[in-house]
Amino acid sequence: MEPKRAKQRLDPLTQGLLWVGFLTLAAGLFFALKAPPDVQQGYLVRILYLHVAAAWTGYLAFIVAGVYALLYLVREDPRFDRLSAASAEIGLWLSLLMVLGGMMWARPTWGVYWVWEPRLTSVAVMVAIYAAYFLLRQAIEDPEMRAKAAAGVAILGVINIPITYMSVYWWRSIHQTASIDIINRRVNMAPEMVTALLVNLLAFTLIYLGFLRLKGMLAEMGAREEEQSG
Amino acid sequence: MKRILVLALRDLRIEFRGRSGLLSALFFLGVVLLILGFALGPEENDLRRAAPGVLWVALAFAGSLLAGRVWAVEVENGTLDDLLLTPGSREWIYWGKFLFLWVLLLLVALVLLFMVAGMFYLPLDRAPGLFLTLILGATGYAAVATFYAGIVVRLSTAQLVLPILVFTVVVPVILAAVRATVGLAEGAAMAEVASWWKFLAAFDLIYLTACSLLFPFVIEG
Repeated sequence: MEPKRAKQRLDPLTQGLLWVGFLTLAAGLFFALKAPPDVQQGYLVRILYLHVAAAWTGYLAFIVAGVYALLYLVREDPRFDRLSAASAEIGLWLSLLMVLGGMMWARPTWGVYWVWEPRLTSVAVMVAIYAAYFLLRQAIEDPEMRAKAAAGVAILGVINIPITYMSVYWWRSIHQTASIDIINRRVNMAPEMVTALLVNLLAFTLIYLGFLRLKGMLAEMGAREEEQSG
Repeated sequence: MKRILVLALRDLRIEFRGRSGLLSALFFLGVVLLILGFALGPEENDLRRAAPGVLWVALAFAGSLLAGRVWAVEVENGTLDDLLLTPGSREWIYWGKFLFLWVLLLLVALVLLFMVAGMFYLPLDRAPGLFLTLILGATGYAAVATFYAGIVVRLSTAQLVLPILVFTVVVPVILAAVRATVGLAEGAAMAEVASWWKFLAAFDLIYLTACSLLFPFVIEG
């Protein structure tokens, strides 16, 4: 029997986040194309606006996944587990986008798609951890056990994020240090570039939040259906 | 504190009486070294350069075999629930199991060190440094492996999932340990090696703290 499905609409907040997010993304694209080319890299620098925005939002998504995982362990509310998984999944996609963009940029700049240097290695480890996270979720049937095991990975996974972020400072790395340098409180780029980057960053964050809510809702519906049929 | 030692000693005694786990890990090490030796040799310089990597790859593989042993005793005898029912907090169970795996890993690592020194010409003239690297590396590995082995212990697919989990999370430890060993083998300055030791020690501390605090929440009776 087809489960009875009410005609569901997205709630206004999720809709708003996604709409504003995509509009901001369009604006970000405009600013990115308007920003001047780089002295050394020329127009190639424009990959940065996507690459850095995806990287930051990816870190954010993984940290949020860790926080929800911790909340799940303390409160044992399945909602937190669903949100943690949703956040980790978006984070994984964002990280893959970041890696892909980075590779497109690296080929003409460094001459190769990939080198084994600290930043790239630590990113590879980060992506591997969250890929393993979903392998683990697949492997466990029992929802409660799945949630607990996944939380164990999501929380320990967060430890890698500061290492990834700091890797360009701690070790001699071929990768650029941050353009908006939080550690040394410096901005190493032209103002128009900063605008473009920040607008893109805002767009990615809004879209991330929208998708997080959306995916959380979808997961909740899935869980309810599973409960009814099982 | 006493409970931790009792648990670790009991497990070690069972392990040494049964021998199967430890022996199969050592045998496996031998095979891994043979394969790597064939694949990378027989040029002495090639083998020498590969030695630190071989040491840690072999230890990581053997470690994942041993990690399966950590909770095996409890599952085989159905005593896991009894263990979890003991009154008081559950951190001590983690520490006991960690200690057990740590001692096993160090024993294996010691044997491995001499095997690699013999077969791959790893220079032993800075042995104290190598021992320290082994201790730090084994600590991080055991911290993560004990934790994840505990999470997946009741799964029928535990043997499948455990290496995936342990390897991915433990990669930074292995990387740092390899760098430190390379430094020691190739006569790098002490300061460079020490920076990797610091990294390893920080990792060990973070993993041990996080794992032991999370463990009671994650393991379910």
